[in-house]
Amino acid sequence: MARRLGQFEVSPNPINDRFERMAQSIAERVARLVIDSIDLNAIMERVDVDRLVSRVNADAIVDRVDVEKIVERVDVEKILERVDVNALVERVDIRRIVDQLDIESLVAQTELGSIIARSTSGVAAEVLDVIRAQGVGLDDFFARWTNRILRRPPNSLPLGPPSLVSPAPLASATPLDGSTAGRGQ
Amino acid sequence: MIAAPPPALYEGRQGHYAGAVSRLAAFAADVGASWGLYTLGLGAVSLTVALATGRTFSVNRNQIPTLIVLIVWEFVYFAYQWALNGKTIGMAVMGIQVVNADGARLTARQAVVRTLAFPLSLAAVGLGFLGILVQRERRAFHDLVAGTAVIYSWDARAARLRWLARQGPETPGGG
Repeated sequence: MARRLGQFEVSPNPINDRFERMAQSIAERVARLVIDSIDLNAIMERVDVDRLVSRVNADAIVDRVDVEKIVERVDVEKILERVDVNALVERVDIRRIVDQLDIESLVAQTELGSIIARSTSGVAAEVLDVIRAQGVGLDDFFARWTNRILRRPPNSLPLGPPSLVSPAPLASATPLDGSTAGRGQ
Repeated sequence: MIAAPPPALYEGRQGHYAGAVSRLAAFAADVGASWGLYTLGLGAVSLTVALATGRTFSVNRNQIPTLIVLIVWEFVYFAYQWALNGKTIGMAVMGIQVVNADGARLTARQAVVRTLAFPLSLAAVGLGFLGILVQRERRAFHDLVAGTAVIYSWDARAARLRWLARQGPETPGGG
């Protein structure tokens, strides 16, 4: 609304302008007085926070958060330095964890069992390992020559029953000792 | 210290179809084991008869009954062990196992059928065994009849670890 006359700025209606400024300062003062007089704690006590929170769309908020950026800014090393690992470990109930473990199935279905069972069997196991390994070597030798004679590419042959070996030739799997309900190694 | 074969032989084979040599060696071990047990049993029977009746029991004089007992014994030896856990003594030594063709556990019926079909593989100069070499799934005639397959159950990876452990940290590649 102001008009420029040379270097001075002149309001078209100076009285109105003064009223506006006064009204502004009165409003600010009144607002401060009102806020000072309000007992926020009393209001908060009357607010149903649960209801309020239930109305907040947390997913929308999370969607707007750039987690990657936040993680990048976190100094993990510094956090770890502040963590008392010993105190943390002391608070862990290892017995409870062990109680929850199904040791029998762990031993039956993993190589751990075989290792434990056979690691102490000494020379007999050593001889058995060598005999079996020699057997496997000779099996391979005969299989190789048979495939050559039959002009059969070895890769075209199945490694084992479908439920025991995965399609990939060197896939790992669960041992079969004791039961057959596993996958080939 | 027994020299270990090359580490390449210790690749994981568990669940793979077993080859001819391992199976033949297992069969040879089973023949030895079953004959050994049969002879021991026969000796025990002879001794019992001698002690009980005062007369000696001679195999030569009882050839037919002895043969029948032998056939029944061989049937029980193989069928029972296969039905129990898919392994005979020889197979356990060689680290192989009989399973259903799809890899599931062998049923008692399959164990019986396999045992009955086994002599048929031996007939005709052992032609039934040729399947172990030429068949895609290394299945012999009796395997095809019973719907079974023979796989390696030997935990080669554990054997490799044991072997490495035996070598110790000073000679990791030795042997």
